[in-house]
Amino acid sequence: MIRMIGTRLASSSLTIFILVTMVFFMVHLTPGGPAYSILGQKATATSVAELNAKLGLDQNIFKQYAIWWWHLAHGQLGYSYLLNRPVGQLIVQYLCNTLVFYSVSIVISTVLSILIGLVQGVYFNRWPARLIGAFQLGFYALPAFFVAAMLVLWFSVDRPWFPASGIVNLRELHPSLADYAIHLVLPVTTITLLTISALSRYFGEAVHEELGKDYVRTARAKGVSFPAILFGHVLRNALRPLVTILGLSFPYIFTGGVIVESVFNYPGLGWFMWRSALGQDYPVLIAIVLLIGVLTIIGNLLADLVNGLLDPRASYE
Amino acid sequence: MNSATTSAPLRGGAGALARFLGWIQPRGTLTAGLAITFVILFMGFVAPFLYHVDPYAIHPDHALQPPSWAFPLGTDELGRDELALLLSGGLATLVVALPAAVLGFVLGVAYGLLSGLAPAWVDKLLMRLLDAVLALPSLIILIFFASLVTLNNTSLILLLGFISWPGLARLVRNETIAQRGRDFVLAAEQLGASRFYVARVHLIRSMAPVLVVNGTFMVGDSVFALSALSFLGLGVQPPQVSWGSLLQDALDIIALDPWWLIIPPGLLVFGSLIAASLTGQGLLQRWGNSR
Repeated sequence: MIRMIGTRLASSSLTIFILVTMVFFMVHLTPGGPAYSILGQKATATSVAELNAKLGLDQNIFKQYAIWWWHLAHGQLGYSYLLNRPVGQLIVQYLCNTLVFYSVSIVISTVLSILIGLVQGVYFNRWPARLIGAFQLGFYALPAFFVAAMLVLWFSVDRPWFPASGIVNLRELHPSLADYAIHLVLPVTTITLLTISALSRYFGEAVHEELGKDYVRTARAKGVSFPAILFGHVLRNALRPLVTILGLSFPYIFTGGVIVESVFNYPGLGWFMWRSALGQDYPVLIAIVLLIGVLTIIGNLLADLVNGLLDPRASYE
Repeated sequence: MNSATTSAPLRGGAGALARFLGWIQPRGTLTAGLAITFVILFMGFVAPFLYHVDPYAIHPDHALQPPSWAFPLGTDELGRDELALLLSGGLATLVVALPAAVLGFVLGVAYGLLSGLAPAWVDKLLMRLLDAVLALPSLIILIFFASLVTLNNTSLILLLGFISWPGLARLVRNETIAQRGRDFVLAAEQLGASRFYVARVHLIRSMAPVLVVNGTFMVGDSVFALSALSFLGLGVQPPQVSWGSLLQDALDIIALDPWWLIIPPGLLVFGSLIAASLTGQGLLQRWGNSR
């Protein structure tokens, strides 16, 4: 088990190292460079040279690269060009919002997917499963920005039930927890609708597959009731692929998050990345890319660990 | 657990969507796919020249009107004809997305063949590089690089093309390695054929169905990715409109309930992805049956 984690960490670190290196050199070899994007229309040859000297951008690129890793090793991610604050501090602030948003979304989607998947697995190839299948197909293909826009149209504009943007009502001096919650409804619904289609489908497949196995037949022959088999044995076994998919899909949820957060102006990491990309704030962008890489690896590792707990055989594979 | 579930993404492109289609197995998949593809290509490349309305002409007296006889799909906040904007935006989307898919296709096939035919250590190195590119979701990489370059049609084609190849490259590499040991390849090599000749004549032909199907998926993904980028303001640049940017524009004035500005571009992006995966899945079914 520990050896497996070690191997995985080593190979993932190499992947991240290559990724960060590519990202660093791509940023610094583009024409213009950061100085132009900070100064914008005020850029003159002198001011660019001055700023380059100040930011250390006039040095040898390999030296800059070494300095960047040296700072990274000391936990310094640099300063945001646009907001002039430490990148690490900014990212923690936005990451907290994102984590709230995703944990709520993932819990709701997982619970709903398990319920839908159970129905689909039990009624496999009969009309309830086919009906669910058609919905899953539709939502799987719908673009995130379209689903989000339709939800705003229906539940915020046509019926003023939920707020369409922000994380909290800005007019409130001390916003209540309920205020935070109601701002989460539409973004969370969007992510849930988008992730639930695939998640419930895979889980339904797994339930169907498990139901056809020998141990189910044996249990039935011994007179165990169907609900007892379903919830006592099949559910637990079918959860394994679900956990793997959840772990592997972490970055994809984040991708949907960029779009959804931008639609709802939800100040999470995806929204922050979007704003930084529009403002060409490279230190922030590099840090976010690095963070997503690390989170991806953690997601994969967590999936393996949880699978090991669900089925001890898996950790020996 | 089979490998299909481990590699299945929660949100995937046209290829993953096709797996869903495979599960419900609707009839007439290929016909439906080709029909929607035809409609979208017609809208993009022919209709703009048949519908003689200037998409950029403003009619301030008719701003934000729902669909009517004068304006079949209504008008935006400047009174511009939404149908004309959609057609113009379709052309703008397709002239970037189609070449980008072709570029990604060529890169993917070349990289995959190279990796599959090269010595083992080169193969390992190339695959590790591929892992690095695949470690992050493509939209994140796209947003990142889109912020670095000056955005125009050429840079967008290059950007989308250079991001979309890894999936196909891995597939081609695996196919190449699987095919390399087969008799017809060994026979050709014994007869003195060069590696390049074997790749060109035998390998590409034997994996042609795989290539066509996945190329189809890549077109759908390319339209989808470009629309997402344009939606974020990092794709096709104004004043030129595109499906993604039309949706973003509508979102700015969503409080005024402009449903006619939101549903058509959304459905067109959805339709492109569905068309690609229906066509690809239809081809898969057809070739799978004839074998």
